[in-house]
Order: sequence, then structure tokens, then C-alpha cells
Amino acid sequence: MRILLVEDNELVADAIVRGLAHAGFTVDHALSAERARAALHTEHFDLAVVDIGLPAEDGLSLLGALRQEGQAMPVLILTARDTLADKIRAFDLGADDFLMKPFEQAELAARCRALIRRASLAPSGIVRLGRMTIDLSGHQLQIDSQPVELTRREWLVLESLAHNIGRIVTKDRLMQALAGWEQDLTANAVETHISRLRAKLGAAALIRTVRGLGYRLDEVGETPR
Amino acid sequence: MMTIRRRLLLLLLPALALLMLLGGAFDYWVAIATTRNAYDRALANAAVALTATLSVENKRLRFNAPLAANAADGSIVFAIAGPDRALIAGTPGLFEGASAASRPVAGANYWDAQLLGQRWRVASVIAPTAAGPVRIAVAETLARRSRTQQVMLLGKLLIDFAELDVTLLLVWVAVYYGLRPLDRLTEQVEGHSARALQRFDEARVPGELRPLIVAFNRLLELLHDAAQAQQRFVADAAHQMRTPVAGLLAQLELLLNESRAGAVSAQLGAVQRGIQQLARSANQLLALARAEPLVQEQFGPVALKTLVEQLVERYLDRADKAGIDLGADTLATSVQGNAALLEDLLENLIDNALKYAPSGGHVTVRSGLEGSQPYLEVEDDGPGIPESERGRVRERFYRLPGSAGIGCGLGLAIVDEIARVHGADFQIGSAAAGRGARMRVRFRAAA
Repeated sequence: MRILLVEDNELVADAIVRGLAHAGFTVDHALSAERARAALHTEHFDLAVVDIGLPAEDGLSLLGALRQEGQAMPVLILTARDTLADKIRAFDLGADDFLMKPFEQAELAARCRALIRRASLAPSGIVRLGRMTIDLSGHQLQIDSQPVELTRREWLVLESLAHNIGRIVTKDRLMQALAGWEQDLTANAVETHISRLRAKLGAAALIRTVRGLGYRLDEVGETPR
Repeated sequence: MMTIRRRLLLLLLPALALLMLLGGAFDYWVAIATTRNAYDRALANAAVALTATLSVENKRLRFNAPLAANAADGSIVFAIAGPDRALIAGTPGLFEGASAASRPVAGANYWDAQLLGQRWRVASVIAPTAAGPVRIAVAETLARRSRTQQVMLLGKLLIDFAELDVTLLLVWVAVYYGLRPLDRLTEQVEGHSARALQRFDEARVPGELRPLIVAFNRLLELLHDAAQAQQRFVADAAHQMRTPVAGLLAQLELLLNESRAGAVSAQLGAVQRGIQQLARSANQLLALARAEPLVQEQFGPVALKTLVEQLVERYLDRADKAGIDLGADTLATSVQGNAALLEDLLENLIDNALKYAPSGGHVTVRSGLEGSQPYLEVEDDGPGIPESERGRVRERFYRLPGSAGIGCGLGLAIVDEIARVHGADFQIGSAAAGRGARMRVRFRAAA
């Protein structure tokens, strides 16, 4: 998977290039918005990581121009300015994620992975997570290429979680997803479906309970230690 | 303290009192003169009336005594003298002393006399008769008119005092109410939050105060500009500092992951922690600077439940690493505030709780309602904060004695500052289980 990094600070850029390469990505580095645009016109990238504070033309203006041209590739905005206005503007212009400097390499790599996964989900409808393959359009789950039978309700829960890998899905949202299938749904029913789903996934994936909020689907080994 | 009100009253009241007393004295003098003249004229008229009692028979004057020529109480006497100055009728001795003290007014002479052991006022006229000019004098005791004058004086003084009292009261009321706009302005200035830097409405102050308010507003504008410049500086400084720090940390992380780091990984780890601490301190100082004025201009509705969910999600991995169960307990409620600052506030509370909760411990982030007041709360089961330290931990750069780990003692100061900007109170208490700390920021009830 190929990532374009647009960052003018050499110290930061060098570390990101090496860090993401270490995490399994191919990284091209552009020092300015102008060079980034040239690279984007000639090559294909799965993701762009763009710093806001660039010389001459800033990262937000580059983002705006890319979206104007119809570039749909996910963009992660990197910034040292944490003003709310910048954040809101970034999302308004079509940013997919926002990360503050300083950041941890692991965090950046995880977010890049999630963004690319989400972007590839739309055309194929297939999510690959560790040993699992979730075919969202075909309603099929495979673990180590072996199909796993799920009830309709378990599937609805897994679907909601798979759309938000690495993010919390609140209990309220799961209840909404199940609402069409079950009357008088209780929070306990959600817990029941989760625990059955966990049993079927076994060691292939981890559904983490976030106390008081909901659940998060993590790749096994992806959660830090 | 010398207030304008006191100054006005001190200037006005004694001067007015003196003026009223002088006026009273003048009135009294006029009243005395008027009554004396009136009494004198009445006496002279009585004397003229007595000429009717005289008749001339055989060139001799004859007095036909009227029935009540002398007043029954003896307070009025008369005397009539012929052209030869011989007494024809009446009280003898009345004409004595006439030349010495007489004062001719409108055909009559008046003087004071001592007679029969009393003081008298005498009026005499000269009436022409066939037998020659006759002098007729009528006298009245002074005691009689002084009684009248005493009554007049008393009445006059009473009226004057009443007038004085009413005038002073009116002046006091006028000064008091005349200066009310000043009081209102004072209240306005006192109620003015120093952080808001809002202009005063120039149209609503009296003309005399307008120049002051205009100058004051100009000063506020300057402050406002300065605060804006400071915020721009903070944003720039943040950018200038964070980028190299981010570079250093990212490079260190790479180094630590390399196998050849083995021998020096302990030192590299120490360097990493140092830089992390530097980054955190810089962030916190910037957060403090951000919580300064102006932010109330950027207030809007902030959903507390969403805020809690976002931050729990952000800190989940760190909690996992530390072996702490991070959870939430949320009620959908919202406050008027600055979203970025409230994020800073909750981040600092969670950061603090994660720092002090033991491995295997719990940290719970809550949003809820206390009565009608929304609150944010973070509870941990760490060592807690002793009651005696709860005031001091809000101070900048203060750290609990013996507290371990990294930190520069700014976290709770930031929470305190941001709570203040939002008009919320920041309560440091004990967790429900009696162990650990419970930090609650309670906002004002929605209007």
C-alpha cells in the first residue's frame, strides 16, 4: 500500500517515512504542496498524509484543491496547531482523519491502516482483519478461509463492528442496528449476541468491551501489548 | 471615603442651612417692622378719632368723654392738651419726653415712654380746632404688642424650620437620585467579567460619563487586540515547538524499535520520557494561555456525552497499556462552552486519573446532571488527594508531595482555569468507594 507524505520538516518526514515503511507501507515524500500535486497527477496512492504548515501553500489548501479535482483517496491531516477552527476546516474540506503532533508512530500506522481499509471497503465490500475475512455484501464470514455460520442478529452486530474497526461502537448504535429484528430489545440482549459472537470468533478477533460505552473490534495483536 | 454624593451634600447642605437662617432673620425683621408700623398707625388713627370728642363752646375746648375712652385693662391711655399745652383730658405725663424721642411719620409723632411703671408706645397728632391747635396722644403698653410679635416670631420660626427641613430633604433626595447613573455604572463595571473584555454601551450612560466610558472602551479594545495577538502567538509557538518535538519523538521511537538499540535502550527510553514530558508541559502551557480572555466569544453548545465518548476512545489504548479499566457512564446533556477548551479540561482530568490509578484499577468518566446543572466527572481508585491538599493542587506547578511519574503540576490548574472561564465550579472530592479521587466540574444550569 502506497502512501504520499507531504511534510516540510525533514526530521519529522524522515521518521515518518521510515516508521511507515517499517509498518509495511511504501512511502513517497513531498516537501511542498506543489510537488505533492505533481506526484498525485502521475502516480496512484492509497492514502495521503498531509501536514497543515507547509511553505507557500498550506496543507488545507492542497486538500481543498485535491477534493475539487475529484480525488477521493483518504487524507489524514497532520498538524501542530490544535485550534478547533483548523480541525473543523480540515473536516469541512474533506479530511478523513486528523492527528496532532507529537504523535506515536504506532498510532499513525494504525490510523493509516484503518483509513486504507475503510477506503477499500466501499468498492469491494470485503474487510480483512487478521485471520478473518468479512464479506459485507455477501453476508459471509470466513476464518482461515473456513466459512463460519452466524445468526442474522450476530451478523448485524458483526457488520456494525466491521464498519468501524478500531473504533468504539456504542451500545445504542448496536441496539438501533438490531431494532428492526427484535421487539422490546434490551441492553442485555446486545450483550448476549456479543458473547455468542465472541464464542464463534474465538481467537481470530477480539471484541473489546468498553465499560459504559460499547464495543470495539480489534485485530488480535493490533492492540498494543 | 469621599464620594461625590458626600461631597455634594457637604457643599450644599451647610450653605443652604445658612441661607435659610439668614432668610428667616430677614423675614422676622420685616415682620417686626410691619407690625410696628401697623400698630403705630392704629394708635395715630385712634388719636385722630379722639378729635371728634372735642367741641368748642365759648372759645373754650370741651371734652366729651366717649364711653370707653380707656381700655378696660388699662393697656391703652390717652391725653389731650390745649393750645396752651394745658391738659384738657386724659392721663397726665403722656407728653413728657415727646420732643426727645419723637419721630414724625405722616402727620403723627411716635415715641416710647415710661409711665405708671410700664413701657408705652405713644402716638400724637395735632388737630386744628376753632380754639387753636390741640394735641392728642394715645398710648399703648409695649407688652401688648410684644405678645403679638412673639406669636408672629414663633410662627415664622416654625415655618422657617419646616422649610429648612423639607429643603434639606429634597436636596438629599435629589443628590441621591441624581447620582444613581453612577451607581448603575459601578454595578455594571463590577459585574463585568475581566475575561469577557466586552465594551460598555455608550448610549446608556449620562453625558458627563460618556468621555470616561469612551476612553474605557478604547482601553478594552486595546486589551482585546493584545489578547488576540497573544492567542496568535500561542498558536504559532505551538506549531514551532511541536514540529521538532514530534520529529525527535518519532525518530526515537524508530531507534528504540531497532535491535541495535539494545545496549543503549535504557538511555534512549529516558530521553524519550524527557522529551514526552517537555511536549506535555509545552502543550499544557499553551492550553493555559488559550484559556485566557476572548474564548467566551466562541461559546456554543457542547454535547458532553459525545465529548466523553471521544476522549474515552482516545485514551483507551493508553489505559490498556497501563492495565487500567477505562470506562464511561454517560447521560446526554450539553453546556454552553468552548469545545476545544472543554476537550483540554477533560483530557487533563483523564490524563491525571490514568497517571494515579494503579494497574488493575478503574477510571470512570461521567457526564450527567446534578439537579439541573450538567457536570463532567472523572473518578479513579488511586491514592486520592488528601483534603488538606485539595486547594493547593489547583495552583500552577504545584505537585503533591511524593507524587511519582512525569508531570509538571499544570493539569489541575488548567482544569480550574477552564472551569472558571465557563463559570463552572471544579470540585475535588473522594471517590464513592472512599478510595481514590473524584473530580467534578459542575456547570451552570442551562438558561
